[in-house]
Amino acid sequence: MLGLPAEFNSDFLARLEQLRIKTRREYAGSGKGGHLSPRRGTSLEFNDFRHYTLGDDVRFIDWGLYGRTDKLYIKLFKEEEGLLSYIFLDASASMGLPDGDRKFELSVVLALALAYVALTSGDRVMVRVLGGEGKTADIGFVYGRHRIIDLARRLAAIRPSGSIDLAHALAGELVTIRRAGKVFVISDYLMAPDSISRGLGLFTAANMDVTAVQIVGGRELEGAGLSGDVEVVDSESGEVVRIAMGPRERERHRESLKRMSLDLRAFCLRNGLHYTLYDTATSFHEFFLRAVAELGLVH
Amino acid sequence: MPWPNSASFTESPMGLLFPGALAFFALTPLLVLAYLARERPRRVSVSSIMIFRSIGGRAGGRFGRPKLDWLFFVELLILSLAVLAMAGPFIIESSRQFAVVVDNSVAMQARMADGTVRFAVALDRINIELKEMNDGDHVTVYVTTPAPHPIAATFQSPGAARSAVDRLTATDAPADPAALAALLAQLASDTRLNNVIYAGAYPVTPPLPSRLRVYAFDAPVPNAALGSFTLRRDSFTATTLHGRVAVGNYGASPQTFTVMVSANGRTLAQQRLELQPDEVGAADFPNLPLEDTYRADLKPTDDLPVDNVAWATNAAVRSIAVLFVSPSPADANGLQSIPGIKVTARTPDAYTPDDLARADVAIFEYAVPKVMPTVNTLLVMPPPEDPIFDFVTSPASKTDVTSWRTTDPITDAVNFRLLNPRVGEFFGVHPWMQAVASGTDGALIIRGERQNHRFIATGFNLFPYLGRENLPMSILTLNMLSYLVGLGSNSAGYRTGQPWIVPAGTETIAMPSGRRVGVQSGTVFADVTETGLYQLIGDGGVTTLRAVNLDDLTASDLKNSPALKIEADESGGVAPTVTMEHKSLSGDILRVIVALALLEALVVYSRRRRVAVVRA
Repeated sequence: MLGLPAEFNSDFLARLEQLRIKTRREYAGSGKGGHLSPRRGTSLEFNDFRHYTLGDDVRFIDWGLYGRTDKLYIKLFKEEEGLLSYIFLDASASMGLPDGDRKFELSVVLALALAYVALTSGDRVMVRVLGGEGKTADIGFVYGRHRIIDLARRLAAIRPSGSIDLAHALAGELVTIRRAGKVFVISDYLMAPDSISRGLGLFTAANMDVTAVQIVGGRELEGAGLSGDVEVVDSESGEVVRIAMGPRERERHRESLKRMSLDLRAFCLRNGLHYTLYDTATSFHEFFLRAVAELGLVH
Repeated sequence: MPWPNSASFTESPMGLLFPGALAFFALTPLLVLAYLARERPRRVSVSSIMIFRSIGGRAGGRFGRPKLDWLFFVELLILSLAVLAMAGPFIIESSRQFAVVVDNSVAMQARMADGTVRFAVALDRINIELKEMNDGDHVTVYVTTPAPHPIAATFQSPGAARSAVDRLTATDAPADPAALAALLAQLASDTRLNNVIYAGAYPVTPPLPSRLRVYAFDAPVPNAALGSFTLRRDSFTATTLHGRVAVGNYGASPQTFTVMVSANGRTLAQQRLELQPDEVGAADFPNLPLEDTYRADLKPTDDLPVDNVAWATNAAVRSIAVLFVSPSPADANGLQSIPGIKVTARTPDAYTPDDLARADVAIFEYAVPKVMPTVNTLLVMPPPEDPIFDFVTSPASKTDVTSWRTTDPITDAVNFRLLNPRVGEFFGVHPWMQAVASGTDGALIIRGERQNHRFIATGFNLFPYLGRENLPMSILTLNMLSYLVGLGSNSAGYRTGQPWIVPAGTETIAMPSGRRVGVQSGTVFADVTETGLYQLIGDGGVTTLRAVNLDDLTASDLKNSPALKIEADESGGVAPTVTMEHKSLSGDILRVIVALALLEALVVYSRRRRVAVVRA
């Protein structure tokens, strides 16, 4: 539909339009929006009192408090602003493997879905691709739902390649971020746990509300295509490991992958991060609607 | 009695015929390289090798370390065995060679005075001898009927020979003493043989060859026997048969015998006969009614029952079908007047060999067939130099018969002085036919046998058959027809131990015991070791009966068994011989290689199938 991935059918778009991003804390945003901001403003959400001074709008005088204290206080309200959302998409070579799992394609779809939720909520969103090839010049925040087409076109041109150090890559991105907001990091997280914890820890330290989305291939999980004596080559480092894959090794492989995911989830929960796991063997629509809360979205 | 040197053959040295072939062991590194190349694992790019490291994957180089799959060792073993096989390994086996000659002739069926059967006792003796041999000794077992021959290849152990000997049975065929003596002489002269053991009905004249050990069962057994049982039709018009049974008394005293002839379980005639010791008599049955088969029984029976029964068939009493092939078929008209004769006339152009299937006798006038006829045949004035008979003829200006065989069935009662054939030709010398009657410049009538069939050729024309108007010619013609259809001859003339030519059209022969043997016509059937009625079964189940009897009365004479004189050539030494045999192990090794290769193929197939299922 209009250059969007096939998953974006009208029904799915309608469902996305009913969602909005929920953050665990208030962030100063940009422009008018639907999210409470720590700034004082004109929303209905009470924020504080202060003494009346000449020039204040008499409509905000708390007359009840005046009756009890015989002093004039002005009621202050929170501001509602647009949320700044950051979507970081891992485009390293590991996201392109194994063939047939469509890890990167579905990551793009997920990123676009999150971006669409943000845009339809009137928020600003920035999509950054970590690694990969075919990237055009980075664009900053985009605003307005029509920009989803532009985002989709840009992401469609990207092919996963190369290797990234998540901590290093996220640190580089963090430097460019001026205001805190919602952060989505979409990756397979098949990397050193230390790199993951340092990378995601940077954002939590920067007072960001982070959601880690791990994407795992269905065939990858089952170890499909690996049997007998094989030399497995790391898609990013090029390292080679020989292994005889039998039923027992395949089972251990599956268990190890699951254990890695559990470790990542435990890390996220411990540090106040949202975490969700997407197994590409399941339907994208099914996953997205099931994982709304885990992704940090609300209806 | 144990055989000498029985405990001295324990050495089994080994060796290689081509030790140079062991150089091929240098191929082993090639196998390792080939194995590495073949077993080089597939390269698969994965997202991350972290997981694989955690489940035991090892860092590998370009080829990696060879994985010690047990199939590698199987292949290494196969290669090693192949190299070893090329080197021609052998072991030297010391063994002794023995020959065992078991007389399984009819005489061995006789029951001895103590009630035991000669053959059973002979087998016991042979078994005792075989038990005394060493396990590695080789034994060749011979039997004496229908002709002396080994029953199988040399047995590699006395145990195997014992099993084979236990399965032997005595046949109804007589042994040929001359052939048996020749065999024993040959075996006794064979320096490769350690010993020869003979157990049979014939004694051996001393001195015995040193290698020969004899168990003779020649104690006299009183025996009476039926000899030949012949049937003949006295004339073409006769409606009964004339039977004659020969009877021999080989007992110690005069005895009165009763010979009964029966058919289909019904006694047709019987006759009493008193015979002196060693006397042979004949019982005549001139008016036997026509039946398919006849059985003659001798009473009282004795210790060799097989020769107390004889069989005959009525092949002589059927209407005789004559195929007459001639450019002038009308010449056959006169033959129709002979009772019991049915003539079918053909011109040579219309004749096909298939016509012979419905004929008992073929007559070719001025013609010869292009293939050898499958029935008895009369050739009247055949053209010369045909490829089948290759007659050499010369025109006869004067065809008077000047000489003839007086005792020949063809010339019987023929007045050749009145014969007076008008035109004719003389036969030159023929390779397999002999002159019966001759003129001044050559033979005028010749006859012979080929492929179990009778052939007569005449240099003058017998036809047309004029009956009483030309009596000498008619008698000659009837004599020839009688000879060709077997009238007046022994119609039960088949004897055990004497092979036949399988008659045309016969596909299977059912023996009296019920055993059926597939045969090919024209070939020799030598398995004539049972007395009784043989069924010759042809296409479409057409069955002809053939009676086979033990009608050689000498085989029934168990009182005067001739002694065998063995003239062995023992110049080659008489010491017990030990044969050192190089027994090649290459065959065994090749069998192991094939088994290992099959095992590997099975395992590889199974693995690939499992991989295919996983990939699917």
